[in-house]
Amino acid sequence: MLTVHLPASLQRDAGAASLAVTEPVGTIAELVEVLERRVPGFRSLFDDALLNFAVNDELVLHRVRDRPLADGDVVELIPTISGG
Amino acid sequence: MPIRDRVARLLAELPDAPQYPTQGATAFIDLERREVRQAYTPVSVVRALLAGRGANMFYLYRLLDESLAPLDPGVPLIFGSGVLTGIVPSAARGNATSWSPESGVLMDCNAGDYFPSFTKMNGYDHLVLYGRAPRWTLLHVKDGRIAFRDAAPYVGLDNLDLRERIEADFGGAWTRDLAMASITRAGERLVLTSAIMAGPKACYARGGPGAKMGALRLKAILVQGQTHDFETAQPYKGYNREIAQKLLATSVVKHALKTTGTPFLYKPSRLLGAMGTKNHQETTWTDALDASNIDPYRPGMAGCFRCPVNCRPLNDLHGDEADRYGRGDGPEYVTLGKFGPNVGIDRIESVIRLNNICNDLGLDTASTGSAIAWAMELFQRGIITARDTGGLELVWGDAALVERLIFMLSRREGFGDVLADGARAVEKGHYPPGALRYRMAVKGLMQSDPHDARILKAFALGLAVSTRGMDHLRNRVTLEINARINDDPAFKQRLYGGAVSAAPTSYEGKERAVRVCENVFGVGDAVGMCRFTTQLFNSPSLPGLDQFAAQIANVTGLAFEPAALDRVGLNIMGVERLINRRLGVGRQDDTLPERWFEEPITVGAYAGEKIDRAEFDAMLSRFYALSSLTEEGVPQDAWRRELEAALEGRA
Repeated sequence: MLTVHLPASLQRDAGAASLAVTEPVGTIAELVEVLERRVPGFRSLFDDALLNFAVNDELVLHRVRDRPLADGDVVELIPTISGG
Repeated sequence: MPIRDRVARLLAELPDAPQYPTQGATAFIDLERREVRQAYTPVSVVRALLAGRGANMFYLYRLLDESLAPLDPGVPLIFGSGVLTGIVPSAARGNATSWSPESGVLMDCNAGDYFPSFTKMNGYDHLVLYGRAPRWTLLHVKDGRIAFRDAAPYVGLDNLDLRERIEADFGGAWTRDLAMASITRAGERLVLTSAIMAGPKACYARGGPGAKMGALRLKAILVQGQTHDFETAQPYKGYNREIAQKLLATSVVKHALKTTGTPFLYKPSRLLGAMGTKNHQETTWTDALDASNIDPYRPGMAGCFRCPVNCRPLNDLHGDEADRYGRGDGPEYVTLGKFGPNVGIDRIESVIRLNNICNDLGLDTASTGSAIAWAMELFQRGIITARDTGGLELVWGDAALVERLIFMLSRREGFGDVLADGARAVEKGHYPPGALRYRMAVKGLMQSDPHDARILKAFALGLAVSTRGMDHLRNRVTLEINARINDDPAFKQRLYGGAVSAAPTSYEGKERAVRVCENVFGVGDAVGMCRFTTQLFNSPSLPGLDQFAAQIANVTGLAFEPAALDRVGLNIMGVERLINRRLGVGRQDDTLPERWFEEPITVGAYAGEKIDRAEFDAMLSRFYALSSLTEEGVPQDAWRRELEAALEGRA
């Protein structure tokens, strides 16, 4: 099982701050497919380059879709913007 | 040549009537003689540089006497609103430009709120201020007229009290028909990290503009008047609606800027191991400062003139009602970083309070926080001791101490006088030369962004080549930290006009991303668009050159192809480099703090990462070549002659 922490902007639509993903998921690409089914609006956030993935508190900056996931991993979706 | 002769010579060349619909005048304001003359920016200059930051550079280039010193009243302070400021949604910005008393190089800073828009509403695109007023002065701009008022009743007031008094004395209401650019006691006392306040929080911050305005003995520029629509070349409101829709439909705006504001970046930076901590001795810090921890203290959001985004978080610490620093505006990401990890503070309430104090005292939180962090590291290393600090123990994480230091700095009291000289503390004889090794500055300007750029090489290059010094807002390639973009080479190539490595630590192609961002952001400043809602800073989907070109045509009747606007962005950087060249800036100044070349990061997935000198130097050369700059970092001959012709009225 994976634990997925959602940003505040998705929590209302998802009905929770975190999701338990029990489906077989081996990579972030596969996780994206699961999230797209479970969280309305997820695709648009991902497509608009707002979100990054952190796996066990390690931010993934490239080769994200192929990033392997293992049972027990904690995945967090992190809005990434800059400011002044 | 004295400033008045320079102004007279320039005025003789300038048109005395608007050159296109919506163009405002340039007012040349002699504060010493209390005289105002006005003219208009020539179209040839607008074609090359537009208005706002762009034409500000034209005026500085023509009026700067580099044989003087930055605080000399013969060096002008120039305000400029963008071509679209006050007209297009989210275009509420303007720039303030001079020779920086803090860094010693170009000073150019940008602010929003209402002042730039209301100035343009009064018929002025640029205000060129020079001469030292015989007594403290307030400029009152109303119905298109500029009057000189005695500012004696306002001297000694900081931002909160000044705004309250001005509103009571002049009538009207902030955000409705009243806007102001003003200084606090820090500006009056020539504190080099002082800002020109343009609102409760908004300020022209970087490079010591508050000190520059104080040196002219100008307390405030108050702008009054009802807002109105502009007579434009063609209808523009339909396209404004498209721009507003584009803004509001963008995920970054909808899910981040509108709801929380900019502190979101704290978390990615600390997870990456790239959060400047304790003056960048460390690079990660506590999750107690994540943006979500600000939520309980955020009663709402505020915004700038006619901006549909409203990205400015307000704060309320829910404490004593009588505590003037218990509520306010902010913090932004920069302040969160500078008064959190960079000085070792781990309580969000402390950061919010320090933010509110800085807003009242009129301080640039980036330079002020950096100056304090620098002093703390020097103390930690024994380079300075309690004998130098008046007995104060500069201990990391002591929020009460930091608060005390901020007040002392703003009044130049005790050790605060040292801190008030910011990055110039060695030059002023306060610290020994060895202290420079720990100064986190480029071109004499302390770093704006709390991000530690040893990992991300595009960020590092941007900080090195920024014309005003170490500042992320000139060219930051924020999208470099987005995995989805990095993993789509075709999209990334289209975005930056060529191949840019997907690997964050690679030096390959990063010059291309910085070049494109610098051009787009330069144009954004010249039209008055907010950086947060300009394409490439936070999203590839926000308005960029195509939208700017379309709306410039509607508003002014001046046709620019997007490629021509891209050239304008390059030109602005080129003129800034010509100005910096006159101030002694060269290739050796397009560099990074020594620490980033020598000390690797020790935590996170990128532990061991630092800047490789040879790789950096090669990347810098590629950036110069791509930017039509010589190996010394100034425009190549043909382009330089072209720029000089435009600047000198020979185009």
